[in-house]
Amino acid sequence: MSHIVIDDKQCKACYLCIDECPKKLIKVSDKVNNLGARPVEFYDPNGECLGCAMCATRCPDLAIREVYRG
Amino acid sequence: MATQVFKVPDIMIDGFKFGFCPGCDHGVAMRLVAECLDELNLQENTICASAIGCSVCIYDYINVDTIEAPHGRAIAEATGVKRAKPDKFVFTYQGDGDFASIGLAESMHAALRGEKISAICINNTNYGMTGGQLGPTTMVGQVTTTSPTGRNLEYYGYPMKIAEQFALCDGVAFSARVSLDTVPNIRKAKAAIKKAFEYQIKGLGFSFVEILSSCPTNWRMTPQKAHDRVRDEMMKVFVPGVYKDILESKQV
Repeated sequence: MSHIVIDDKQCKACYLCIDECPKKLIKVSDKVNNLGARPVEFYDPNGECLGCAMCATRCPDLAIREVYRG
Repeated sequence: MATQVFKVPDIMIDGFKFGFCPGCDHGVAMRLVAECLDELNLQENTICASAIGCSVCIYDYINVDTIEAPHGRAIAEATGVKRAKPDKFVFTYQGDGDFASIGLAESMHAALRGEKISAICINNTNYGMTGGQLGPTTMVGQVTTTSPTGRNLEYYGYPMKIAEQFALCDGVAFSARVSLDTVPNIRKAKAAIKKAFEYQIKGLGFSFVEILSSCPTNWRMTPQKAHDRVRDEMMKVFVPGVYKDILESKQV
């Protein structure tokens, strides 16, 4: 199943990936990370992720570490 | 069975953490450089000359041999390294103030001599690390900390279009300008960087890529608005494209 792996310690909360996801599967987390920012989290209850890697290509901090397709 | 379609480049230093401001495109540009070095299998054979400014941090993130140059002199050091070790792959990673203002003489004469090195220049229309001062690429009317009423033509003149200027130098094999505002443009940027690196490997001459990047902190914008500015304002003046490619006989 397609999915992404987010390292929430690297996320600086620029939220560029949220706009990028064609299925809108990335949302702002309720938690606060070590940088004092609210990182993004992957929320895909229905398995809609395409594995397109657009979020990872956009992420300026390499917080989206891995993308799997298929 | 899921296949992995994206991973952190192998050449990145273990446990690295980008120190840039949130939304800064330097991280994207460095990742593209790292991916190109990985794909061309250059890790063991590369020497990087890092410059001054936010771009200096490249040696904290990419695991290649790096020498640090004084302001603007990265190209001069890269020239020396390449002449002493012609079999090494040598590139510089610089900002616009470093490449096109402080070190313009070094950069331009290396291009005119056709030194077989590659230069990556990040254009964010100001001096980012020092607090957003007016730089050589600051756009007409743009407010910076040293031009509080906007860049005034009578006082400061026009911004420099680096990729076009360098395309006019006879020693240049490849000169292109790319943008990082959208994902398709990021993919094009990677293709241009890879081509520039390949031209050095083939020994064709000086290869140059100017990357339009955002600077949300100094522009006083959100990362999203900063990309809108790159798209709506910068790309109208600094038009992306390949300005010189000697293998496809694209001459200015």
